[in-house]
Amino acid sequence: ATCVSGGLPQPTNITFISINMQNILRWNPPAELQGAEVTYTVQYFIYGQKKWLSKPECRNINRTYCDLSVETSDYEHQYYAKVKAMWETNCSRWAETTRFYPFLETQIGPPEVALTTGEKSISITLTAPEKWKRNPEDSTVFMQQIYPNLKYNVSVYNTKSKRMWSQSITNHTLVLSWLEPSTLYCVQVEAFIPGPPRLIQPSHKQCVSTLEDQASALKVR
Amino acid sequence: FGPCQVKGVVLSELWKAFWAVKNTVQAQDNITSIRLLKPEVLPNISDAESCFVAHALLKFYLNVVFKNYYNKRVEFKILKSLSTLANNFILIISKLQPSQENEMFAIKESAHRRFLLFQRAFKQLDIEAALAKAFGEMDILLTWMEKFYHQL
Repeated sequence: ATCVSGGLPQPTNITFISINMQNILRWNPPAELQGAEVTYTVQYFIYGQKKWLSKPECRNINRTYCDLSVETSDYEHQYYAKVKAMWETNCSRWAETTRFYPFLETQIGPPEVALTTGEKSISITLTAPEKWKRNPEDSTVFMQQIYPNLKYNVSVYNTKSKRMWSQSITNHTLVLSWLEPSTLYCVQVEAFIPGPPRLIQPSHKQCVSTLEDQASALKVR
Repeated sequence: FGPCQVKGVVLSELWKAFWAVKNTVQAQDNITSIRLLKPEVLPNISDAESCFVAHALLKFYLNVVFKNYYNKRVEFKILKSLSTLANNFILIISKLQPSQENEMFAIKESAHRRFLLFQRAFKQLDIEAALAKAFGEMDILLTWMEKFYHQL
């Protein structure tokens, strides 16, 4: 639909929110038009190619986000996206993102963490975060397959001594030995990749207690 | 980089330096329909070839991109990143010793064709635009270098 371009202020804060290669474009409504029946249209562009491309599902929409994961799924490429606001016969000029490089900018979600306790040890088993899937039935790809140099930062906190330490590992299991028996330990793990600075999402903190020392338990009997 | 061994360079320093100016520099590149480091220039390079390609590209960035960019009126923040990147490139180039043996001739030729793809695209642009574009594409170059660093 034709409209008077520039008759509306632009959408603001247009940016890609990317986690495990799910790339969602988000923006804020134009400042003065909160609550008005504004609609939006999105286009995207592959750096080095010629034309802006449309996504039909994100034309004349009311919401302020658009999932462009499919359109931006090639790791070798960089992208731009833009949004314009429309209201009655007026529309804004396009508001554009900076150059978006999913391979470098996607946030790495937290790994799954399983803890098993022993008397003086805790075994930590990690499952790498999964890449976003186009369809639920698609085969699973772990982020480690995309980033072979993915590492884990394991932080451990002894609630009794109030001591915290952390360790960087590349494989999926870690055994913490020489721990104190009958002591509550809290563990938190984050996945990271050497390279440009990236936002990181740590796992939920999980706390488990080491078992009672069997030797002292026998003495008591 | 394949047969070339490079030690003592902290790639994260290069990332930090570039990331600090990425949006500023890339915003100066208005010709988004052209990409110098095209997908066909870098990916799927054999280990043996990577040393030649890295040597050619890094020398070009040093002698053409950084040198000319340095003479432009740029903000201090960019100059600071530029000198970090340039100094690290000097270090890497000094350690990259591409083999001069005869049997490497075919690999060297293949690497040179790849570099020419990049250089030709660079020369087709006005120098100001080309400098901004090349500097803005350092994330592509560093991503490619990171893959070889990982393999060491």
